[in-house]
Amino acid sequence: MIEQGKISSAQMAIMMNPSILATVILLVPAITAKNAGQDSWISPIWASVIGYLTVLLAYMLNKLYPNQTLIEYCDLILGKFLGKVVGALFLFYYLHVTGIIVLEYGEFVLGTFLTHTPMIIICGSMMIVCAFAVYGGLEVIGRCSEIIVPVLCLLYLVIFLLLIKDLRIQNMFPIMEKGLTPSLKGSIVPQSWFSEFIIVSFFFPYLADKDKGLKWGFISVFSVMFLMVITNITTILLFGKLTSELTYPVMVAARYISIADFLEHLESIVMAIWVAGTFVKITVFYYSLVLGTAQYFKLSDYRPMVLPIGFLLVLFGIWSAPNLQELSHFLGTSAAFYFLSFQVGIPIFLLCIALVRVKWLQKKGSMSG
Amino acid sequence: MKRRREMKKLDFTHRLDISKSLDEEKTQILNENDALSSSLIENEKILKSIYQDCSDVVYRKFLIGRETQALLIYIEGMSNIEEMDKGVISPLIQLENVNLVNIQILLEEKLTVSKATPTSSFQDVIQQVSSGNPVILINRQIQGISVGLGKWEKRAVEEPMAESVVRGPREGFTETIAVNTTLIRRRIKSPQLKIKKMNIGRYSQTQVAILYIDGLADKSLIEEVNNRLGRIKIDGIMESGYIEEFIEDNPFSPFPQILNTERPDIASASLLEGRVVIMVDGTPFSLIVPTTLYSLLQSAEDYYQRAIIGTLIRWLRYSFFLIALLLPSSYVAILTFHQEMVPTTLLLSVAKSREEVPFPALIEALIMEVTFEALREAGIRLPKQVGSAVSIVGALVIGQAAVSSGLVSAPMVMVVAITGIASFSIPRYNAAIALRMLRFPIMFLAGTLGLLGIMLSLIAIIVHLSTLRSFGVPYLSPMAPMQYSEMKDVLLRAPWWSLKTRPHLTGAYNQYRQTNGQNPKPPKDSE
Repeated sequence: MIEQGKISSAQMAIMMNPSILATVILLVPAITAKNAGQDSWISPIWASVIGYLTVLLAYMLNKLYPNQTLIEYCDLILGKFLGKVVGALFLFYYLHVTGIIVLEYGEFVLGTFLTHTPMIIICGSMMIVCAFAVYGGLEVIGRCSEIIVPVLCLLYLVIFLLLIKDLRIQNMFPIMEKGLTPSLKGSIVPQSWFSEFIIVSFFFPYLADKDKGLKWGFISVFSVMFLMVITNITTILLFGKLTSELTYPVMVAARYISIADFLEHLESIVMAIWVAGTFVKITVFYYSLVLGTAQYFKLSDYRPMVLPIGFLLVLFGIWSAPNLQELSHFLGTSAAFYFLSFQVGIPIFLLCIALVRVKWLQKKGSMSG
Repeated sequence: MKRRREMKKLDFTHRLDISKSLDEEKTQILNENDALSSSLIENEKILKSIYQDCSDVVYRKFLIGRETQALLIYIEGMSNIEEMDKGVISPLIQLENVNLVNIQILLEEKLTVSKATPTSSFQDVIQQVSSGNPVILINRQIQGISVGLGKWEKRAVEEPMAESVVRGPREGFTETIAVNTTLIRRRIKSPQLKIKKMNIGRYSQTQVAILYIDGLADKSLIEEVNNRLGRIKIDGIMESGYIEEFIEDNPFSPFPQILNTERPDIASASLLEGRVVIMVDGTPFSLIVPTTLYSLLQSAEDYYQRAIIGTLIRWLRYSFFLIALLLPSSYVAILTFHQEMVPTTLLLSVAKSREEVPFPALIEALIMEVTFEALREAGIRLPKQVGSAVSIVGALVIGQAAVSSGLVSAPMVMVVAITGIASFSIPRYNAAIALRMLRFPIMFLAGTLGLLGIMLSLIAIIVHLSTLRSFGVPYLSPMAPMQYSEMKDVLLRAPWWSLKTRPHLTGAYNQYRQTNGQNPKPPKDSE
């Protein structure tokens, strides 16, 4: 195997939490609120079903091919030619998705903090740090996130704690005024985020305790769902119908905090959370991409791929959308189908073929034996 | 012509592999006549040629029982001469039964010194003489006797200078390895405490001891320490710092991966946690492997004061660790990029004090930090009598005068001072210098990218720390990889009766250090 390191299932769960959540907390509350209105806090619960489903998919595929990642078992399931085609599709998909994440990061920092700094510096500096972590390997990424993520979650919850006195519970009512439809509609965009959980299929082969993989995967989905619900409830209670008009509701909420004339302007904390969380997210995707590419070309080491792919990611980031509005529009409309078809559709397809193959082989085996 | 070419060739190979030729040089002197010969005159001749131009080597000839010739060799000032007269020379001279001169009998019956061993090769003799033990060579004997009467001037056991405590033992290691091992042996009396010695350094022949507790330390760890020490080929070891650089895992990390201490209590406690201690003759600083980041932030006193105080002091130390790393850069970042974060009144007063300052915040911070570092360095190196002058001048320069002349602002002076205090609050000097070093690149990033720069550098440091290992143990353990049961000795300092297990990465071999249920509780029959 290319990756020598092992991580524990708990480390994987910790890693996956910001890998989903980091970009969710910026744009998604507004996008969800657009469709679901005051019911936007229910949407993540529906959406998390997709999260459980993808983790289950990854787990079942891993059961069949315990030591292979997604890219590797594409070949085994679909045969040489088709496998290579689907593998290449996946790699391009991840290149694009990671580029989008890089762009989201760059646009946010550019729009809120460093308005005069060139985009390439902002994205490039982040990519250097991420490359450093990816170069260290899976164990290093796991350990980093173990240090970073608990602090992040704590800070994140503190922000909501400080907002409690400004929340107006009336904003939430009436619950399900128009039935389930708005919240279900609102769940489509979060679903695409939850489907990103399929990336665990790159980590399952390297778990030290594989039997706990599914359990911790589910715990991770639950934690993401929980934090998303909290985010949406708070933004809805704080801004009401205004939420859908804001670009970064959580950011504005943090600006709202003012306690004792001293605890003010906590958006820097949001920035810290956001940067650290995005770091984990980019690193996880970047790592999977690098590992997948190395496995696709059957290289003996993935480290030589780290820098070239890092460059590509910065470029893809800058190319993927000309500005934030277009990006937000893409994420709110067609992206959901794009993400879901790659992250849920193809894996289901793979699993079906794999199951048929295994059954067929068993039958053949029992007939000949 | 041919000879010249040969010479040239020789010269070339010499340059090619200096270490090899140095080894050969040594063997030329020593191995040619490895065993002592039975003729005393010949032995003397060879030894004198080896110790040519060594005026401190003393040769004392005498007759055993008025007949057999004997030669005593020692180095002036390294041996206990009174003891030698009383216990070696006088009994031998007064010996009666001359014909039966036999080394074994001499050793067993005649010599009234407690430590005497036979030596049979020149290498042995030289080693013994060089380490201060006089050697007696006797005519017609192929063995000599080395007498353990080495005694030289050494510093007494004093209070350790670099790690002082309010409550706790006041003994510190000295420059003599024998004294240091005794200090450990007095704390851990079990024969399970093993002390392996080796000599490192072609010329210095420095004694290095590996200490561990058999049954607690991981066998593979001991093996690894042995291997890494065995690989060192150098001319001399002056301090354990030499060895540290040879055996650490990542030589280019700013963070020390090996703990050094001059406190025997810390060394003993580490031994009991299953770690290995390396002692080097000639320095009071012994090395402890493996080390984690958290042990660099702990002081011995954490465990001697009461648990709650220990916990609070630890928290204080952790927060000041961050302050020492990030305060100047945060100040720069906030003043340059994020003024809106500062409450208005504070911002106004800062702005007022910065009104006359001609530099941007980054330059101001750099000037002050560099001055402070220089001042600190000067304060350490200067003779004690001049030291106070430095602090007076320094206080004037970076305090009063700089502010009143308008070169730096008063808040900046405060920031530098607090940073200084924070870095002094870290108990390990080598951890504190790592922070001092890292502060400057972070300041640059803060001056160019603001808080984002600080976050990125912080993440980079965390990534770097996660890649580090010290003798196979992850540097951030037990935090990453997470071991929940050990958090009570990292985030807290739990009372001793609840610290039941050793750290699992070094002490997994023998997990429990005490029995259960020892927490104080009221006696059962009380009402």
